[in-house]
Order: sequence, then structure tokens, then C-alpha cells
Amino acid sequence: MAVFRKIFVANRGEIACRAIRPARELGIPVVVGYSDCDALSLHVKLADEAVRLGPSPASMSYLDIDAVLRAAKDSGCDAIFPGYGFLAENPDFAEAVEREGLVFIGPSARVMRILGDKIAARKALSSSGVPVTPALEDVDDPGKVAKFGDRVGWPILIKASAGGGGKGMQKVFSADEVEESLATARSVAEKAFGKGTVFVEKFIEGGRHIEFQFLADRFGNVIHLGERECSLQRRHQKLVEEAPSSLLTPEVRAKMGAVVVKAMKDIGYETAGTLEFLVDREGKFYALEVNTRIQVEHTVTEMISGFDIIRKMYKISAGERLSLRQEDVLLRGHAIQCRVNAEDPKNNFAPSFGRIAFLRQISGPFVRTESGIYQGWEVPPFYDSLLSKICSVGKDRETAIQRMRRALREFDIWGVRTTIPLLRRIMDNPDFVAGRIDTGFIEENIAGLTEYADYEEEIFKVAGFVAEVSGLGRNVHSG
Amino acid sequence: MPGSLKKKGYRKVLKTIRDGKAIWLVGTGPRDTGQSDFKNRFTLHDLSCLLPIYDASGYFAIDLHGGARLHQNMMNNMIHPFEEARFFSSIMPNVLTQTLIRATNVWGYRMYSRNTVRLAVESFLPMIDVWRCFDFLNYVPNMAPVAEEVLRGGKIFSPAISFTESPETTDAYYLRVLKEIVSLCGGTKDIILVIKDMAGVGSPARIRRLVDAFLQKYPGLIVLYHRHSTDGLVMPAMAAAAEAGAKLFDVTDDAFSRFYGHPPVRPLVRYLRELGHEVRFDMERADEASDTVRGFIRNYDRFESQFKGFSNDVTAHRMPGGAFPSSFEQAEKGGFLDLMPHILKGMSYGNRIIKYFDVTPGSQITWTTWAAILQRYHKEGGEHSVKRLFSVLDRYFEGGERLEGLAHADQNVLLRLYTVATDDLKNLLLGKYGPLPFGWPKDWVYRSAFGEGWAEKVEAERVLSSPLSKLPDEDLGKARAAMEAEMGRSVTQEEFILYLMHPKAATDFLKFHARFGDTTVLPTSVWFNGLRRPGDQVMITIGKKPHAIRLVSIGEGVGGVKHVVLSVDNIMHVFPVELPEAAAARKTVRKASPGNKGEIGATVTGTVWRIGAKDRVLKDGDRLRKGEEVLNIEVMKTENAVKSPFAGVIRELCVKVNDRVEEGQLLAVIDPVAE
Repeated sequence: MAVFRKIFVANRGEIACRAIRPARELGIPVVVGYSDCDALSLHVKLADEAVRLGPSPASMSYLDIDAVLRAAKDSGCDAIFPGYGFLAENPDFAEAVEREGLVFIGPSARVMRILGDKIAARKALSSSGVPVTPALEDVDDPGKVAKFGDRVGWPILIKASAGGGGKGMQKVFSADEVEESLATARSVAEKAFGKGTVFVEKFIEGGRHIEFQFLADRFGNVIHLGERECSLQRRHQKLVEEAPSSLLTPEVRAKMGAVVVKAMKDIGYETAGTLEFLVDREGKFYALEVNTRIQVEHTVTEMISGFDIIRKMYKISAGERLSLRQEDVLLRGHAIQCRVNAEDPKNNFAPSFGRIAFLRQISGPFVRTESGIYQGWEVPPFYDSLLSKICSVGKDRETAIQRMRRALREFDIWGVRTTIPLLRRIMDNPDFVAGRIDTGFIEENIAGLTEYADYEEEIFKVAGFVAEVSGLGRNVHSG
Repeated sequence: MPGSLKKKGYRKVLKTIRDGKAIWLVGTGPRDTGQSDFKNRFTLHDLSCLLPIYDASGYFAIDLHGGARLHQNMMNNMIHPFEEARFFSSIMPNVLTQTLIRATNVWGYRMYSRNTVRLAVESFLPMIDVWRCFDFLNYVPNMAPVAEEVLRGGKIFSPAISFTESPETTDAYYLRVLKEIVSLCGGTKDIILVIKDMAGVGSPARIRRLVDAFLQKYPGLIVLYHRHSTDGLVMPAMAAAAEAGAKLFDVTDDAFSRFYGHPPVRPLVRYLRELGHEVRFDMERADEASDTVRGFIRNYDRFESQFKGFSNDVTAHRMPGGAFPSSFEQAEKGGFLDLMPHILKGMSYGNRIIKYFDVTPGSQITWTTWAAILQRYHKEGGEHSVKRLFSVLDRYFEGGERLEGLAHADQNVLLRLYTVATDDLKNLLLGKYGPLPFGWPKDWVYRSAFGEGWAEKVEAERVLSSPLSKLPDEDLGKARAAMEAEMGRSVTQEEFILYLMHPKAATDFLKFHARFGDTTVLPTSVWFNGLRRPGDQVMITIGKKPHAIRLVSIGEGVGGVKHVVLSVDNIMHVFPVELPEAAAARKTVRKASPGNKGEIGATVTGTVWRIGAKDRVLKDGDRLRKGEEVLNIEVMKTENAVKSPFAGVIRELCVKVNDRVEEGQLLAVIDPVAE
């Protein structure tokens, strides 16, 4: 039976491409929206139909609720999959979708409203017995923030109350930095999420980032698919993720999983989501937030659990009962995901954009790629810099790392600078290999990790010379 | 030379030559032939076809390094001199490799301190067997640092005596120079003595007498006669040297020989054998080599000298083979080719006024001086003015070289002669290169070059001892830092040595190399002319793998850019090629200098959306705290704060709000002040 008549994917890039695939497996046609600069992007090529949303800036296309709704309705869709970013965690959007009589593939607007606000979420989680970090939830007053810092100890973090991905997050080391950081965080939050509310929490030194994936149906069935370790981050954005975490014993995993399941049952969650924890050096867990959407790194969970999370989301949203019980979840082996971003690690991860002159993506046994790019496509400057995700799986972490090294060596892209050379260095780093990682790993090791030659295929350089001499008809360098 | 002999060590090699009767040959193709007749443009691609043949020909050594080639390689050939040396030495295990080194100038154009000479020589020692070293003043102390390094490194030192024919250059003079050389090298056992007839002026009788004088004095001395063909008498002159006992000769392939390089090898071997000499050489291989040369020599047509044919005038103007064609090239580019006969004539006066040997850097000094003099006179009064200059010079020499013997007006002509003197000429006159071999020129020359106050200047500055002894060691750390600032990265020792020789050529070359890779993989026709017609393809090898580049199309030049479409390893790429006119016209974006911390460059390509911080708009002259935000660049929705590296004052803001800026573009200049 068809789950939906037609699904509208309100996203772009690799996640839109990813979302089209299970729909096609289930025989559901997919419509995507696109902005002007994305007219020739890969998600448009893979979809059955495509509708123009508006000009290239996201605020005029992918973030334009009316445009997205109109496109979905006019194309005859009965469900909308939001992916991550853009409107994915916007309860107003979810509400508008329901109001128009379509299905929002995700949790209800009510749940999103609670969990999407970091302050409300903390309250809800702690009432279900989930530990949370010491925090200050109302911050208009720099003086209060400074006092809070003095009380819990510096540094502290100022975060946007809405959204995620670390945008606008400010690490503050002393009282005299508070005023400027607070202003910046608010300005970025306003720009990125349309809402300037921020909150302050204690910065957990040397913390590790562990998150639990869960699935929940509308009948109150909730299971978890184990955890992911996402400690390798740059500018508070994850770069390398893996599952399982080398930190958790089966007992701790079961215990934490039970906490997650209970909290999500209590709140009435539906479809898939993630509860993020920070683990301090003493092994204490603090819930950070709940991501009410598919995560970029959901792949590693899929690779060790064997479940297609997005496919499950489609089915659950369509009203199907979760057929799995917790005991059906058998995690096998170890998976790693690396994010190939269009940015220059040598230059503080500055975005890099331009035409992809050459692309060879990975293949071979036990690797997987999720990508939104193709050779000849131009990386636009308007959106997130994620180009591609590479995953590997093996019976243990070491095997997964070996396979990831092999995959990274095969991956080749010309025309934009990417995180590939940095990822290669990470996979060779003895501390990473030994599992000695925390959220500060990249920052602390950045000098060594960016110690690689800016690599351009020799043949491409020489070809550039041949082009010049051929075009000019003579060698202007030979005197 | 058989590789087995080479393996026995250099002393054994020299002993074999000294004790035997045979004559051995040095092939000059890669270096001196290329320099003298083809402006040093030979590509590695072509030379790599030739060198295996040389290796099997029975040559004693191949002249392949040094002289002007090192500079040319970086400036025009885009060949890494170290890579080239390693390649040559590995591809020819059976012959010795040879460099030409300009005493204290090494492979550059200035005098280097001892520590620099040591570094440069040391770095090439593993690849080079024979170190031919000359000084344009025949001032032997200038050779000392090179001799010490080479002999200590266990390689063959080959001191060269610069040769010309003039009243002063008697056998007694040359024997004096030789005596100093022998004393410097601790005898004659470890050296090959070169008579360096770089202009090609030695008459057969003169050469026979000189070689004989040398061997009478030092019977065990190995003498090599180096002679260019310029005056047309090279064959009999070499035969005369052989008769007198010279054992080694510089030659080139028949198909390589032109007018300013070296004699063709096969006729010379035939002639020497006819005269009864034993010559170690494989004529068949030489035939093969010439055929190979004929296969590629057309690639260099446009680099051959504008002036064709032998020239007996060389005995008067003495311009060396290496400088002859390049002078004509400069004259053509400078638009004064028609003045060349006058300039050459002027040089023949010049070398009687200030006496030294016309070889680098002397030949460059003579050339620039007389090119400038003749251009000036010609500009001022045309042919008449030039004629008048020469007639005054004639009267000067006829009157016994006395300024006072000339009419007042004529005196003024002479006193204006050297007012164009370059710093190099002034340094030469002040003994900064070493004492002149036949004494200082007359006072009027100093008066002309230095103007009023010349006498005090000469008194105060003229160096009478060895200039090397006055030269302090170079601050290599500082030089290296300067290079690294220019390159924006750390540099290798080899790169640094290239920089010490030729700073601009080295950094330009390394930047070219970073952009275009190693272009020596290209065949010569593609290197010079590219791919011509759509469908033309070139197969190249990089590392150990094959690659193909095929021309698909060349677009019309639109907006100063031609779009060239190439298929690279079967994948199409469009390369925008900026036309030179457009590149020149393009307003160049000011880049922040990486070496100057006060120049703030854009960290990313993006849009400047704010200058100053949220609560502070900045303008020129404003004070900044260390780490204060100067401006903010938005890219892909991220804010990128650009902060001041130190407390300071804004000297200049170079951008406005909403300007699109490129990575590295100069945003602001900040002068540091104490906070």
C-alpha cells in the first residue's frame, strides 16, 4: 500500500536527495522545491517534479512558508518532509502544514514548540528525570550573566534559544567579554532564526557529545536505536560522527536509552528525533537539547542497526504502528561518518564556493555516500556548506577507520576547497585512532591537522598551462 | 668514459688522463651550446632524448649546469635547477657532470660572502663532478672559497684562466696566474686547468705557445682548451693546442654547432685522428646524437642569434660567445639593433681603456656601458655624433693615451664618456670585484665616472686587497625570512639557495610552479606553442602514470578572456585564459602583504557588511585595541570578524560597506601604537 500519495521534500542538498530515495522505494512520487540558484541542483534532477520557490536567498525560498505550502499543495502532495535546517524545526510551519490538511513528517507542532525552545525543553526533560546542565534562562542583563559565570565557573556558553547547529553560539571566558558576546549572539540569533532570545549555560570542559536516536509512533511506542558520538566538531558544528560511542558500556547504554524513551513517551513525541547529551570528564551526563528532526549523522545509526530512519518516519507519519520492539534493535559493528564541507580548514573553515570541475565520489565495499553534488555543478554561496557525507562500517572501530581512510583517498574533488584533506589527517591522528577525543579535539590539534599541502591534481595544473599557451598561441613565460 | 673508471674515483680518472696519450672530449650541448647559440632555452624533454646517447659516446664530461642556465631555467624554462641536476646525473652514470661557476659570483650576478658560496656549492656537490671555475679578472683569491669547498667535497676542481689576445696578455702574465692557481690547489694533481677562450679569438700559434709554456712549467698539468668558434679559426687552434699537449677539448654536436658556440665534434675528431692523435670517442654515437638534435632543433629557431655567420671583428670587440646573441636580442627588443656595429666598435675601444676580461660579469658591464654610451650619442646627434666620438677616441690612442694631449673640446667628449656608468662599472673601478689585472685605468676615467670629488672617493673607497676579505658573512636567517615572507610559506633549503642566487627569478619560478605544476613533462612544441588545432592531443607522464590532454576548442576573446576547452583525462574542462592586454588593463586588487602585520587582509571572499563593531563605526585615524573588530565579512550567512592584530591607529581603510572583497585583499592598514 502507498504510504502517501505524493511527498513534498522541502529541502535541498544531500538530505533532499536522501529523502527522495525511500519514497521511491515505497513507490511514492516526490516533488521538491528549489530556489533560483538550485534549478540545476541534484535534488531537482532526482525528484519526479520540481517547483520553483523563489530567489536564491533562503529567506525568499526555502524559508518562505507560504511559498513552500503553495508549492506542495499545487503539486498535489499530501505530506511534507522538512529534512534538517530551514523550516524543519519551525512549529509555525508544522502548524501551517496541518492547517492546510497535509501531513508534516515530524513531531507535532506542540512537541516542537516545547522542545524547540531550549528553555522549555530543559524544563520538560528534567521533569521526566533527564539531567540538564546548570543554566541561566533569561538573559537580557549582562550583569546577571557575569554573576552566573562567577557562580558556575568560566567559561560559559551563550546560545540561541531557537535553532541549532551552534549558530551564534559564543564561548565567554570572563566577565568583561559578556557584553560584546551577548550582543553578537543575539544579533546572529535574530539573523538566523528570526528570534533573538538566548540563554546561558556552563561550558563543560573536555566534554564529549553523545546523542541518542529514537523512533516513536502516535500510539505511544518509543524505542531507541542507540547512541552516536559526535565529539569531533569545528566551530561547534560536527565534522566526524560515529556509532556506537566507545564511552558507553551496554549497561549505561540501556540505562540512558531507557531515560530517553521515558522522556519521549512523556512528551508524546512522534516519528524520529535525537536527544543530545554532553558527558563530562567524570562521566556525568547532561541533556543538551532534543533535535526534532532527522539528523545529518543519522546514517551511522542506520549502518549499524540496519533500519532506514527516513523510511520509518514516512510510515509512522502515515499512521503506521511502529512494528519494532526495543529487543529487535541489534546494533552490529561500528560506523563512521565524515562530512565533506565546502570550506577551507586552513583558513579557519572559511566557506569555499565555485564550480566543481571534477568529482570522483567513493564506492567499494562497506562504504556509503550521501551527496547533493555532481561534477560541473556550482556550489552556491547561499546555504550550508555540506556537500557530501561519507560513511564506512566495519566489525569494529579500527576496521571502520581503515575503510574510511581508503574512501577518503579515493574521493577527489576539484574546484572548491573541502574538508577532505583535514578528514584524512584526522583518520591518521593517533589520538583519534585511540578514541581519545572530545569536543575540543579539532581546535586543539588544528595546526597539525591542517599541515597538508594544498593539493591540486598535478595534471590539472599542467592542463591550466596548456590551456594558457594554446589560448594565447604562445608561451608568455619562455621569454 | 666507461662507468667503471668513474667508480674508481676522481684521482684515478685524472691519473688515467695524465698518464695516457689519449685526447678526451667534453660535450657542451646542454649548457654552453644552449647558452651561446640558443639562448639557453633547451627543454628537459629534448635534452632527455640526447643524454642517454652522450652517456654511451665516450665523453669525459658533459657541461650541463651553471653559467646562465641556472638563471634561465628559473626565469624562462621553468625548470627546477635541483631537479634538473638530479635528473642529469642519474641519466648519465658513465660521464662526469660539469658546472660552470663564476668564482665569488657563483651562479648569480653579485659577489657572495664565504658562507653563501659554501652553502651553494655544498648543495650541488652530490650531483656535479667537475667544477669549472673562472674569474673575469683572473684574480685567483676570488676562486678560493669555491676551490676549498670542491676539493674538500672530493670533486674535480677545474680552474679556468680567462683568455684573450692583447698586448698585456703575455705568456709571462698567464704563467703568473697559473702559478697562483697551482699554489691555491696544492699542486696540479687534482685539477684540470682550462684555457677559457670564451670569445673565440686565440690564433693557432698563440694557443700552441701558451699550452706549451704551461706544460714546460708544469709537465703533469692536464690542460683543457675551451674555445668558441666565433672568429672561424677554432679547428686549427684546437689542433695546435693538441699538438702542444692539451688533453681535453670542449665540443658540441655537429647539428648543434652554430657561430658562437663550440666546434662540431665529428670533424674535429676526424682532423685530430688524421694528425695522429688518439681520441676517445664513439663517432657512430655522435652521428646518432646529431640526428636526434636535428629532430628537435627547429623548436629553437626563434632563439637563434639575429647576427649570423662568423665574425673576425670579435678579435677587436671580444664579446664572448655566451653574450653575443643575447646582446643582439636586447638590442632588437630595445629598438637599437641598427646601432650594434657602433656598439661593438665602441667595445673595442673600451677594452683598451679599462682592461679586464670580457666574460661574466665583465662582459655584461662592457655591454651595458657601451650600449648606453652609443645610444646616448646617437640620440643627441645621430651618426655625426657617433663619428665624432670615435674620431676623438682614435686621436686619444694615437696621441699615446694622454687626455692633456687632446683639444679642449675633445677632452670634454672623453670626460662625458662614463657619466652613464652603472653601479657595476663604478664598483669595478673601485676594485670591489678585485684588482684589475693590468692596473687601474687613467684618472680621467674616474673623473668621468664619479664626477667632481672623484679623487677623494677613489682614495676612500678603492679596495686594494682581496674584496672577499672585506665582505662579512651574509645574514642567512634574515634572507630566508625575507623569502618566506614573500612566498607566504616556509621554504626548503634548496629553494632558499635558488633565492640567494636570483631572488626575483626564484620566487617567480616557485609561484609559477605552484600554479602550473611541473611543466617539464610537456613536449617542447606544446611548451612553446600549446595545442594548435581541435583534436590535437598530448600524452604526458606524471609520476608513474600516463595522462592525456586534448584540445577541444578555443573560444573568441570576449571581454579580455578566451575560453579554452580541454579534455583532461577524458573529462572536459573550461579554462578561462585572460588575454595579456586585459590582464595589464585590469585594475589590480591590492593584496595585503603577508610579511606586514599592519596590512589587514580579507580572511575570506565575501561581502563587507559592517565596518567597526556594532556600537562603533570606524574611520581613518581611529584608535584600535588589540583584537578589536575592524570589520566584518559576511559569507554564506556567517559573520567573519576581522580583528586588529595589535593596538594601533587606522592609517587607511581600503574598503567600504557592501564591497565585495577577495581573500587576501587589503582591507585596512594599521600602524601599531602602545596601548
